[in-house]
Amino acid sequence: MKSIYALLIAGCVVIGLTACSKKKEPVVDPVVKETPAEAVAPEQSKVNEDSLAALERERLEAERLEAARKKLQEMMDRLMSEDVYFDFDRSELTEEAKTLLIQVGEVLNQEPRFTITVEGHTDARGTEDYNLTLGSARSTKVKEFLSAYGIAAERMETISFGEEKPKQAGESEEAFAKNRRANFRVNVK
Amino acid sequence: MNKLFPFVFFLSMAIQVFASIDTIAVDVGISVFKTMPIGVVPFTEPSGTSLDWPDEKPHEVAERDLNLSGRFEIISVPKFDLVKLSRARAKFYVTGKIEKALNNKIKIDCFLYATQSKDLILAESYTVSLMDFRKAVHQFIDKVIYQLWGVHGVASTKLAWVSKIDGVKQIVVADYDGFHRRQLTFDSTISMMPVWSHDNERIIFVSFRNNKPQLYIKDVATGTQKRLFKKFEQTFSPAVNPKTGEILFSAISGGKTDLYVGDPETQQSRRLSFLKSSQTSPSWSPNSSEIIFTSDRGGSPQIYVMNSDGTDMRRMTFMGRYNERASWAPTGDRIVYTSMDDGKMNIYTCAIDGSDIVQLTSNSGNNERPSWSPDGMLIAFSSNRSGSNQIYIMRRDGSNVTRITQGGDNTAPTWSWYPIENQTKQKEGKE
Repeated sequence: MKSIYALLIAGCVVIGLTACSKKKEPVVDPVVKETPAEAVAPEQSKVNEDSLAALERERLEAERLEAARKKLQEMMDRLMSEDVYFDFDRSELTEEAKTLLIQVGEVLNQEPRFTITVEGHTDARGTEDYNLTLGSARSTKVKEFLSAYGIAAERMETISFGEEKPKQAGESEEAFAKNRRANFRVNVK
Repeated sequence: MNKLFPFVFFLSMAIQVFASIDTIAVDVGISVFKTMPIGVVPFTEPSGTSLDWPDEKPHEVAERDLNLSGRFEIISVPKFDLVKLSRARAKFYVTGKIEKALNNKIKIDCFLYATQSKDLILAESYTVSLMDFRKAVHQFIDKVIYQLWGVHGVASTKLAWVSKIDGVKQIVVADYDGFHRRQLTFDSTISMMPVWSHDNERIIFVSFRNNKPQLYIKDVATGTQKRLFKKFEQTFSPAVNPKTGEILFSAISGGKTDLYVGDPETQQSRRLSFLKSSQTSPSWSPNSSEIIFTSDRGGSPQIYVMNSDGTDMRRMTFMGRYNERASWAPTGDRIVYTSMDDGKMNIYTCAIDGSDIVQLTSNSGNNERPSWSPDGMLIAFSSNRSGSNQIYIMRRDGSNVTRITQGGDNTAPTWSWYPIENQTKQKEGKE
């Protein structure tokens, strides 16, 4: 009778532990939810074999998660490093910008958990006020393009920083060109 | 050759005439305003002890005020000198007397005399701490200006501007001459576009603390603050109604920028412009019946005017590709605005129908964000002509440019209103 109690307690502990470990796992992957159910089915005679198999499964699972996380991170990094550039005092998308935005749209399609913030910027010339409207117009043009590409509008927010956050300091035409841009920030749902 | 000469001469004249039509012909820095010569005599100080003046002596503050006012030509004499003052046509002179008072204070008696008759025109007495003596002199100079010109001076008004402190744009407030500067915001994020509330007690400004431009209002004395017009995610370009204190502003909604007017107390607001283009940088006419603003509906930023209910919109500027941030003179007769040419910003004024354009700044870096003094006599602006952004004050015709900040990075000055009591006085005077 005592041994049955011990088993029950051991079972509870296993359940408890797996419950804990479940919490620690990144919530990003829905597949994770299936693992605890499999792990909690210990039979008296096969305890050792099962735990070994479970360990192996966990290891594989962790590897798979790590790979998925890496891929996600890479996609996020790629999105955040891509800037869309504009001509002076213009918010129309250039052909280059459109090519880039199609790639961005592709990433957003592959990863439906991504929501993005499109930040619009201008170069230092002109007034702060008008540059805020220009930055807004640029981020809006980007959002409209992605929207037409098939990305739900709810997944995209636009913000204007005007001339306040230059990527490159200075008064050169090169710096100006680098600062007339829209960039992305990525959030994972 | 002799016969040909007149022809060539007239041809070159004609070319010059056409050339001057194409460009905006201006005389920069030459005053067309008639100033009044006025004498300044050093104040007498108590004999035996010397006072430790913080920055300048009282007569130096008086000279600075009289000069900055744009109304006077200073005739500085070490002591009363009838010949010198008369020769310079200074019909009046300013002087004073300093005495020690109780509690470490000083008594400043200020006088305005008629030069020829030595009649006392105006006398004021102030008992203040040594640190506050500038305030006393400012008040006296404003009384002198009221006495001699019949309008209130601006020596007691203030400026707010944006100063980079540890690399972050913060709002600072100071006396109009740049002295007594005080930091108003202490955020790690950008604060900008300050304007004064109608009672001069609060500053409305844009903060990026939520990582997007949003309007806040902050009490200058207590520091209490709140966000304005929360139903919008992004708000900027505030302009305070000179009569009611209502705030005109730009808000981004549905991907475009439009003009709204709102009450800072109730937070209620309504939309004023309904165009496909973007509208920003609004400013009220002095009687608040009309609004000037910038729209890009013509493909580039240009200045437009409309009634304060949003009707009867018409374009005001046609010269140049980039005209922005117009602001109506408190005197009602002129508009000041910024224009970009060849990548450089410069300040212009025009009549309220857009004609009679005068360029106020040129060949001196970028000159931006003009703001009228309450008497409409002066314009504060920021310029990077010295190599860094600093605040300057000039006469409304572009002359008498005086720098009022020294180190650091200072931009976007906004002049306060007259004190409330003068606002009503001025109104009563007109009625």
